[in-house]
Amino acid sequence: MNSRISYDVIGFALFAGVILFGVPAILGYDAFELSTFSRYLSLAIVSMALALSWGTAGLLNLGQAATFGMGSYAMAMHLKLKASGESLPDFMGWNNVDTLPWLWVPFQSLTFTLLAGFLIPAGVGGLIAVFMFRARIAGVFVAIITLAFLVAFQLLVINQQGFTGGQNGLTGLAPLEIFGWVVDIYSVSFYYLVSACLLVALTLGLYLTHSKFGLVLRAIREDPERTRYFGYNVASYETLIFCISAALAGWAGMLYALVLEFASPTYMSVSFSLAIVIWCAVGGRESVLAAAIGAILVNLAEGRLSDVFVEGWHLILGVMFLLVVMFMPRGIYGLIVDAGRALKRQGSRAETVEYNPPDALLSQNRES
Amino acid sequence: MKRRDFLGRVGAAGTMGLTGALSVPALLSGSRHAYAAGDDIPIGVLFSLTGAVAVVEHTLHDAALMAIAEINADGGVHGKQLRPIVEDPASDPATYADRARRLMIRDKCVSVFGSYTSSSRQAVLPIAEQRNNLYWYPTLYEGRECSRNIMYGGALANQQQDILIPWLIENFGKKFYMIGNNYVYPKEENNYCRILLNELGGEVVHEEYVPMGHSDFSSVINRIRAEQPDVIFSTLVGDSDVAFSRQYHAAELNPDKMPIVSLTRSEVEVKAIGGEAAAGHFSSAPYFMGHESPENERFVENYRSRYGGDQVTHFVSEAAYFQIYQFKAALEKLDPDNITPIGIRDAAMGMTMKAPQGEILIDDNLHTHLWPKVAQWQADGQAKVILQSEERVTPKPYAAYPGQECTGEGLVKA
Amino acid sequence: MDVVFNQVFAGLSFASILLIIALGLAIIYGTMGVINLAHGEFVMLGAYATWALQTYAGLGVVTALPLVFLAVAAAGWIIEKVIVQRLYARPLDTILATWGIGIIIQQAVRLGIGPDSRFVQGPQWLTGNLQIGNLVMSNYRLFVIAFAIFILGATWLLMTRTEFGMKLRAVIQNRNISECYGIKAEKVYSVTFAYGAGLAGIAGALITPLFSTIPTMGTGLVVDAFLVVIVGGLGSLMGTAAAAMLIGEVTALFSIVMNDTLGRIAVLAGIILLIRFRPRGLFPSDTRR
Repeated sequence: MNSRISYDVIGFALFAGVILFGVPAILGYDAFELSTFSRYLSLAIVSMALALSWGTAGLLNLGQAATFGMGSYAMAMHLKLKASGESLPDFMGWNNVDTLPWLWVPFQSLTFTLLAGFLIPAGVGGLIAVFMFRARIAGVFVAIITLAFLVAFQLLVINQQGFTGGQNGLTGLAPLEIFGWVVDIYSVSFYYLVSACLLVALTLGLYLTHSKFGLVLRAIREDPERTRYFGYNVASYETLIFCISAALAGWAGMLYALVLEFASPTYMSVSFSLAIVIWCAVGGRESVLAAAIGAILVNLAEGRLSDVFVEGWHLILGVMFLLVVMFMPRGIYGLIVDAGRALKRQGSRAETVEYNPPDALLSQNRES
Repeated sequence: MKRRDFLGRVGAAGTMGLTGALSVPALLSGSRHAYAAGDDIPIGVLFSLTGAVAVVEHTLHDAALMAIAEINADGGVHGKQLRPIVEDPASDPATYADRARRLMIRDKCVSVFGSYTSSSRQAVLPIAEQRNNLYWYPTLYEGRECSRNIMYGGALANQQQDILIPWLIENFGKKFYMIGNNYVYPKEENNYCRILLNELGGEVVHEEYVPMGHSDFSSVINRIRAEQPDVIFSTLVGDSDVAFSRQYHAAELNPDKMPIVSLTRSEVEVKAIGGEAAAGHFSSAPYFMGHESPENERFVENYRSRYGGDQVTHFVSEAAYFQIYQFKAALEKLDPDNITPIGIRDAAMGMTMKAPQGEILIDDNLHTHLWPKVAQWQADGQAKVILQSEERVTPKPYAAYPGQECTGEGLVKA
Repeated sequence: MDVVFNQVFAGLSFASILLIIALGLAIIYGTMGVINLAHGEFVMLGAYATWALQTYAGLGVVTALPLVFLAVAAAGWIIEKVIVQRLYARPLDTILATWGIGIIIQQAVRLGIGPDSRFVQGPQWLTGNLQIGNLVMSNYRLFVIAFAIFILGATWLLMTRTEFGMKLRAVIQNRNISECYGIKAEKVYSVTFAYGAGLAGIAGALITPLFSTIPTMGTGLVVDAFLVVIVGGLGSLMGTAAAAMLIGEVTALFSIVMNDTLGRIAVLAGIILLIRFRPRGLFPSDTRR
């Protein structure tokens, strides 16, 4: 266990170094490239949030995009109110809404918005979790319930055009202002803001997975029944990790709305939710750090591929996902772990492998 | 680990590695040259080639590229070739925003041509305004926008409905049934239609919106049967329009008594609906493929010889095509060594041009003066123009909002 | 009252389409636990196969059905052999793999055939309506309902009255023991997957005259179909049929009381509650414990 911690710490330090110094240097502090990369970094947060619930506790949340969307709308609502000044947001007038809806009023305050950006998703995630886990719903049913919730929530947001901007989402936003600093998304300081958020989120994630809490979650992933017999309240653990994961997703959503300068219901689409799952799988769901790297790599690849192959980039991506799922079930992380172990074995051939990879168990725990 | 397993993994890793290698040169490329400083003029082409909207947007992409090729074959502008930089935003607003940045900031395009949906235009808008670039938007839209960085080539509510609604009331009756997809364009058009109906004494018997991509219209058709309206006023788009019309036809509702009058249906949708099911219904738009003018004959002929005899042109692809020519005409007025997006915009204001639909004019508010037409669909999939505006119609993006006007100085509130 | 009867028919018609799409998914999921997100793309392939047969061979929708079934089943069989077979030990990963397969099929069709919407002519002998009092029923929709019942019946017979069906049920109950008795589980899986894909193809063929045929047409269908399967209960044919009926009728009735959007939201909320309180579905089959 200890050696795993030290590997993760080294990995994290390397990652932080690359993100903080390497990337800006390679990109030549170019405004466009940095803002594009900040987009990838904000997506890395939502990917690592999924790794917390899926990789650690085995709860596949296909509704991650819903909580992500809530965060982005929270931020966009604040910025929209700021852009509108004294008057109502423009789209409300067009939809015959005369007074500011009560839901919008508190978002005039920046403090409230920043808190709401992760408290509301956490609350909603918590409610869904309590609803599901009290009934001991597990496996594919978690995926289906969260998926149905996502579809319904997106329909609702699109339908309430007068309050949410409908299909167009919230556009025409003011720039964010914190303590007198006006955020310019094309600046190096904004890049560092997003990287700092990602690194904080990763630290939290690493701490959680290596704490006793994380150990119990892994136990739940392997066998919820047995964990229950040991006296752990499985539902509470599951609910808590769901809340944390939702809060981080909301946080990522806030940054995403800043980077793209609008909030759109497509952030809550089924395909976006599945994309998050894929980033997580490519990186490796067992490690939050790997999941974050997966999101960055896939998005980077998508960006570059679409630059080179305008017609075929979607096809190439599909083939890539398929290959990863088939041949690298544990993602890039698994590949590195295996390679590391193979190297070790080369060094001391006589030694037997003492460490059993958790996923080997995971793959067999389907009832037979 | 099994050997075969390992080989497979290495293969997959190789694919990833290849991708990585591809990305390195692009990663390092950094910023490129200034606006049009080289031998050619970079322009962005931003229409979805994949995803749900690709059905329509690929035709816009084709029309725009054809115009660019024609201009280049003709010697370009000021002896410089136009260099189209094509991106695929995959029908997703976030991708639109990302690709628009690439075109406007990294590639230093002097203009970007793109978008079919309102949501994608709004995703590009903040970048165009912030970078003071120019975005040419060929689609009909809901109005209520007055950006100084977007050139609007499509029809507005007043250009689609002013001649249409009185004619419908006279010929079919006063009971309107409104059906649209659930987003801003249908709602705004219906808003404007209600204003006209109030003036003319018409009434709305039912107004409803279905989710985007909705494809089972049994309930809607039952309701229509129960209400017996005189006109089905449709703002359904894409798949929904196709599914609705086919099911309407299958239910044997009679277009002579209850025609579907669409603001969005073009030759593209009719091709998918089938001429038989579309026949007898109406559309209102500034352009139809069968319009008779020398400009249009050339446009249709070139388009078909380039992309195939079964392809169709329609009112959005016409705009995607003529906007490239408007752009070229504006460029010609500028000093070739000093081309900027804002210079192009200012040169384009007040400019007239012979487009396939007739002579059009760019208003100071950057919208376009167009020639509204109402046409009835025929069994061969073509539209027969029944009614044509006698004069070119001024675009009024705030027609439904008295006291607000979009002018060359931006939005003015009285 | 007329409105209600007409709406009941509308619900039935929607249910029949849901059923044909969901049936193939139910069989695949019930047998192998594979969550096939490419199912919508099989539907799309069926629609395009119908289009191709009509355009190049002049076959009508109904005459093309057997060929479409075989063509899409063949595509399913190949995909099972090459890809899905390797993933049986990791059921959750099939979600990702089949999503990837879906993207690949969709893009291949777009690049090969083009992104335009294709037109498929409905059968001429099925135009028109059957009218009983004020109840108006489109003949084509009646045909689709009848065909859905036929497919349900045929599948039921296949599962219960044939040797293949017996083997299939044996494998579902216990793969290892069935293999000891000489049943080749891999082969059973391949055939089942192909059969499910073929059914999706038939669904695609049947909906083309009513819907729009484009490369992305399947994406929206798979979520609905999957909800039907889960509500119906794992591996239960009758459950799937009942769930399709229930969802179809409830959607239709909600949509007259409210509107189509709110109706759909209400149905989704209902589904969530149902899964919460009856996670094993309406009619859990007793083959699995």
